Amino acid sequence: MSLVRFEGVSKSYGRLKALDEVSLAVDSSSLTVLCGPPRAGKSVLLRLLVGLEAPDSGRVLIDERDVTHLPAAARHIGYVPQSFALFPHMSVRDNIAYPLVQRRVAQSEIDRRLVPVAEMLRIAPLLGKTPSQLSGGEKQRAAIARGVLQEAPVFALDDPLVGLDFKLRESLMDELRDMQTALGATFLYATSDPLEALTMAERLAVLDAGRLVETGEVLTLYHEPSQLRSAELIGFPRCNRLPGHVSQGRCRTPLGELTVELPDGEVAVLVRPEHVGLGDGADEAGLLRLRARIGLMEHLGAECVLHLQAAGAGLVAVPATDQVAGLAAGDEIALAIATRHLMLFDPVSGQRLAATRVAAYA
Amino acid sequence: MPDIVLDSLTRAFGNFKAVDDISARFTEGSVTCLLGPSGCGKTTLMRMIAGLETPSSGRILFGTRDVTRLAPRQRNVAMVFQYPVMYRTLSVEQNIALALRDERRLSAAERAARVDEVLGVLDLAGQRHWGIDRLDSGTRQRVAVGRAIARRCDVILFDEPTTNVEVHSKLELIRAFNRFRIGGQQTVIYVTHDQTEAMTLADGIVLMQAGRITQSATPRTLYERPESEFGGWFLGTPGMNFVAPTGERDGGITLDITDRPLRRPAGGSDGLRVGIRPERVEVSAQPRPGAVAARVQRRALTIGGQYLLLLETRGSRLRARADSEGGRQLGDAVYLRCPPEHLAFFRGGQRLAEPPQFLSNP
Repeated sequence: MSLVRFEGVSKSYGRLKALDEVSLAVDSSSLTVLCGPPRAGKSVLLRLLVGLEAPDSGRVLIDERDVTHLPAAARHIGYVPQSFALFPHMSVRDNIAYPLVQRRVAQSEIDRRLVPVAEMLRIAPLLGKTPSQLSGGEKQRAAIARGVLQEAPVFALDDPLVGLDFKLRESLMDELRDMQTALGATFLYATSDPLEALTMAERLAVLDAGRLVETGEVLTLYHEPSQLRSAELIGFPRCNRLPGHVSQGRCRTPLGELTVELPDGEVAVLVRPEHVGLGDGADEAGLLRLRARIGLMEHLGAECVLHLQAAGAGLVAVPATDQVAGLAAGDEIALAIATRHLMLFDPVSGQRLAATRVAAYA
Repeated sequence: MPDIVLDSLTRAFGNFKAVDDISARFTEGSVTCLLGPSGCGKTTLMRMIAGLETPSSGRILFGTRDVTRLAPRQRNVAMVFQYPVMYRTLSVEQNIALALRDERRLSAAERAARVDEVLGVLDLAGQRHWGIDRLDSGTRQRVAVGRAIARRCDVILFDEPTTNVEVHSKLELIRAFNRFRIGGQQTVIYVTHDQTEAMTLADGIVLMQAGRITQSATPRTLYERPESEFGGWFLGTPGMNFVAPTGERDGGITLDITDRPLRRPAGGSDGLRVGIRPERVEVSAQPRPGAVAARVQRRALTIGGQYLLLLETRGSRLRARADSEGGRQLGDAVYLRCPPEHLAFFRGGQRLAEPPQFLSNP
């Protein structure tokens, strides 16, 4: 049964439609990542859930109860806002405990909960300080602590790790997931970082320009996106997108020509970076072969992101570091892409096109 | 420009040593990244080189010239900050030209030529007449770089210039950085907490922790041969796994993650930890020679559609990567193999020179 439900919620600010008829059901004890670019509507959706704003139309339900117009204090949601709204005159400890004090939770109970959370977030030594004595990252961790301390059935985390340093983000992602599992709580977690979305999510809800594009299990959405925007927005590095023009069963793309069973017109051809292979693929069949020039090599450690120029189109590949030994920016290299990895979409409607056959045109 | 030499440099704030007895040499014309987590002292170290912070003890030499007590402007150093200070009422071009106002020897024509050159290198020619307010944070940061390189200082210091820059713009900035580096004679010191940025930009990385240098090496060496557990953990997404031996037997040490004992290193198993990078752990669905059974406790997607697996075997937990295709075939019961050539011994956080080897061959 779904614990949180948005039913056709819309919200506008003046002429800007921040949310447009969004319907989303979130199961109890699940972790759903709201992902999408900045201003996709992720924060607004969470604010509607928390009760900081009311939708123009539509309903918000928690446990089948309509809370659309219920005040925030009556909803009992652990909220970690994007900006660290800490009271400047209170100590970090009092800031973190504030929502519990408001709910008249006993001091001994507050202390019991506070210690492990403060240790996990590495702010135990800072509890006696005031927010002005903390760095940005420390304030953010205090804000996370305040949210997670509530042991609420539902948590709304709005890009909680943005701007924190790399390794801290990595360990907090782990710890937040462990905590979600341990508490059996329902997490709605917004992020605009594609790698964070992939790593955190069980389920993903892809938002773009105020609309819900697609929702589903992360593995399904990654491997079989049904919408152009979810293919583009899920994945790191970002999925390659190339224009294709179909005429009489042949599709011209910057990568080469394909045989397709599609009506004439424009298509968007998408291929994930991991499917852009280095080398000419020997004698393997069903490959598009092309040459490309390396523009920039970004070293991630285990792998390298190659930013390539091929036949006038930009292309990104992500080979293992062992594969790029000796290569440098400016080099020309051979690439092979298996046609079975190409995903075709209608560029206007964004729908996935089920071409019954995609093959390299001989 | 001669080398920059740091000689036993310390900066204390009360009892806290932000920089603790650091000696290092930055070679003329090279790019060095100071890498480390928040609070490791990297920014303090750079501010001392810039002359914005006075060392408590130790010396800074530019070649043989002792600059320790010189004011910033006497050092011929340019700096690009996290939040660049710009003249909002001036155009891109005017902002860059302003950096040259103290260069009295330049004629008007030389000044104009210098500005043109910088605009070209940084790909800003199209925006030369734009006001600063029209630029996104990354482009603004490129203007800041432009001001720094226009002066042709011997030394350019960067303080986390991409922290507040969104991903796309960050790449543009890195490309611009690489272009101006081509044939560049300046010595560049670049502070970052982002390992990808450091590995992509740097000739050498100085890895810092708690005010000290942990390791100073090329990006590849630092990644492939970390001298400390900290280094192994800090680089990589996620970092290196570490497991403790389970015991000693017949001149060997036993581990949960290998099917046979390793040759006992000098000093035995006491305080010993064995490290392996997640991408070096080989995971398969079927048993194989040399593999041990493990269970998948958690799986997530990561870079390039790879699977990031949290594995448990006989009481040890470790992370592994599996490629996009192979990872899809894996159920919850898997087999893992840790090739000895990818293992490393650590004791007391430091790497042992001795390479791990199996007692017997498989």
